[in-house]
Amino acid sequence: MCHWDKFIRSSCYFHSTSDQTSREEGSTAKEVLDPLALIKDEVSEVTDRLRSMVVAEVPELTAAAGYFFRAGAEGKRTCPTVLLLMASAISMDMTDPIVGLENKLRARYMRVAEITEMIHISSLIHDDVLDNADTRRGIDSLNFATGKKLAVLAGDFLLFRAFSAAVSLDNAEVVSLLATAVNNLVTGELMQMSITPAQRCSMDYYLQKTYFKTAALISNSCKAIAVLAGQTTEVQALAYQYGKHLGIAYQLIDDILDFTGTSASLGKASLSDIHQGIVTAPILFAIEEFRQLREIVEQGFDDPSNVDTVLEYLPRSQGIERTRLLAAEHAKLAADAIDSLPESVDRFVLNSRQALKDLTEKFMRRTQ
Amino acid sequence: MSWRWALARRVAALTTPRGTGGVAQAQRLLPSSSGAGALLGRQHLPHASQIRSKVVGCRGAAFVSSRWLHDAQYHIHQDGASRAEEQQDPFELVADELSLLANRLRTMVAIEVPKLASAAEYFFKVGAEGKRFRPTVLLLMATALKFPMSESTEGGVLSILANKLRTRQQNIAEITEMIHVASLLHDDVLDDADTRRGVSSLNLIMGNKLSVLAGDFLLSRACVALAALGNTEVVSLMATAVEHLVTGETMQISTSREQRRSMEYYLQKTYYKTASLISNSCEAVAILAGHTTEVSMLAYEYGRNLGLAFQLIDDVLDFTGTSASLGKGSLSDIRHGIVTAPLLYAIEEFPQLHEVVDQGFDNPANVELALDYLQKSRGIERTKELAREHANHAIKAIEALPDSDDEDVLTSRRALIDITEIVITRTK
Repeated sequence: MCHWDKFIRSSCYFHSTSDQTSREEGSTAKEVLDPLALIKDEVSEVTDRLRSMVVAEVPELTAAAGYFFRAGAEGKRTCPTVLLLMASAISMDMTDPIVGLENKLRARYMRVAEITEMIHISSLIHDDVLDNADTRRGIDSLNFATGKKLAVLAGDFLLFRAFSAAVSLDNAEVVSLLATAVNNLVTGELMQMSITPAQRCSMDYYLQKTYFKTAALISNSCKAIAVLAGQTTEVQALAYQYGKHLGIAYQLIDDILDFTGTSASLGKASLSDIHQGIVTAPILFAIEEFRQLREIVEQGFDDPSNVDTVLEYLPRSQGIERTRLLAAEHAKLAADAIDSLPESVDRFVLNSRQALKDLTEKFMRRTQ
Repeated sequence: MSWRWALARRVAALTTPRGTGGVAQAQRLLPSSSGAGALLGRQHLPHASQIRSKVVGCRGAAFVSSRWLHDAQYHIHQDGASRAEEQQDPFELVADELSLLANRLRTMVAIEVPKLASAAEYFFKVGAEGKRFRPTVLLLMATALKFPMSESTEGGVLSILANKLRTRQQNIAEITEMIHVASLLHDDVLDDADTRRGVSSLNLIMGNKLSVLAGDFLLSRACVALAALGNTEVVSLMATAVEHLVTGETMQISTSREQRRSMEYYLQKTYYKTASLISNSCEAVAILAGHTTEVSMLAYEYGRNLGLAFQLIDDVLDFTGTSASLGKGSLSDIRHGIVTAPLLYAIEEFPQLHEVVDQGFDNPANVELALDYLQKSRGIERTKELAREHANHAIKAIEALPDSDDEDVLTSRRALIDITEIVITRTK
């Protein structure tokens, strides 16, 4: 389950601009070239376009498909933000930029953002059907509002609309990357669904599944941006790495928050993962310390006393701390990928790169 | 080598000890005007009377090549009836190639998602897919649209390209089947569809969750396979087909009262749900082969009309079943409140049927009443007539294809025409 929504409700995200008082550039640069301000406009444009891109022949379908693009329901739109920042961060230094060409390229990046958002929402909608979720992003889930069947159909519709849009970019590699992402999303969900007791205790299995469910989409889309920008394979790989590590870091913090919630102590949070029988990183680390925990986890959590047992062991273990360390590792790897990008003297490019790095820290500091 | 040569060999092989003298015997069987030299060139149709033995069950090996039709299966009656009257089973023409495809699909699912393997089995195994209609039509269409190739290039570059094309067209057939099955799985979500083509609905057996997920899996694999084809027009077509499937199903679950009584609405929904997929994939097959827009549209028209004809007869059969009389069918449409063509025609003749339809069919008395009106009306007949009309359009589309004197091409086109006949006259 992609927990963008929890992140989205976090108040810390849009306070990020402060960090641009940095190091390299003077203060005048900040106002003129604040990438987030510019991105904000583009992100709004993306949302508007999304609303028109999901118009179907049948009004019920349009309403269902566009449910999460309505004003107020669209969340903080992290995916498009990351992608548009990435686009700025890797744009080639053009000594004599041809404005028309630039605009055309920019439009294509926005298309990728739209496509990614549609795929993302499509998977959220199906996830909610699979999990029988009642709410999403603070409102009724689509299946709660319109029934499961229409929700499933709306998800399919969004997916293939996204696919059509991808095709119109006329770049086979981009289409392939997005198809791979879609495939990975399903694989991740399948891994979750068909998990055996032994797999439930495996950190490798968990990380692989996490990559598929949370990081695959953003990493492949970042790479797609780089491909469209005509960048080298090295840069494409770096963009991919950024997305991958960002996504994983995000999920690991999410796992912690599910236990700690807004307070530092355990038990004051939603605990939804464990109640759904989903075993996450903190518990997996705890198992390494306490062998006896393994058997409990293998049994599963239909028995509520198992939940209690795990919650007893967790604070005695280093589970939370080690997960946080792992998240920090991934956040650093994401930032390193940005640092490894080819040098640029363009202030806008540099500010965008900084914004991407700041994002990784934002994720680490989330409290809800 | 022409298929007739292969057939003659088979006939000879049956009457001689294995592997000996087959060639010589075959030569004797063929009309004397076509001597050894002519064996390498194009043949005229031999008279069936010259081949009098009954040839049964010559299933050749399945292989992917531009000449795959060599090992077609034949039934030739001993009374020597003329060949023109023989109904070659069109499904048999592609049966081997289809097995290949089915195995590929089954293997893909089994390897990637073992848990879903038994799920996929339900739909890809023989007997459970209603004769594998779609892939059969698509493979036949691929052959029917073959560009002529001169014999001398056998084994050369053109032959390799032809093989590649065939594989890509097979991929369309696979993708189409994946999309079709996925749509069935998703349609089944929360439906009380008890049986689907005689096999228990996967949903009942494995639950909603697995249906959604299995459908998602198939759709995502279809996406990957489509991306791999690298043809934007084809991807567009198939994406449109999926949209139509979704739209059609949405239309079905959200029909308003007026819409339920509208023939136009019904036909549009029917196109979306049944005909769009096959028509767009037929067009895709043509486009992959590099045909002109005109030819691609003919392929599309064939698919569209075949699909519509199929559904209309399906509607009739839901009322009549295998008998000619009403009410012996499963009546599942009407029981689900789905108003189909026969009833819509009946409403035109008996406006009072409006009321009954509006009330809905939860009350079995209404079902009886509707059947009553239907009996009195020409609803069934008119539906059959409409189906026949569409079948004829399909046939015309095939006949309008550019001329060819390639045996394989002609056989496939004949088979496609035969299929329209089968669709119209079937009783289940």
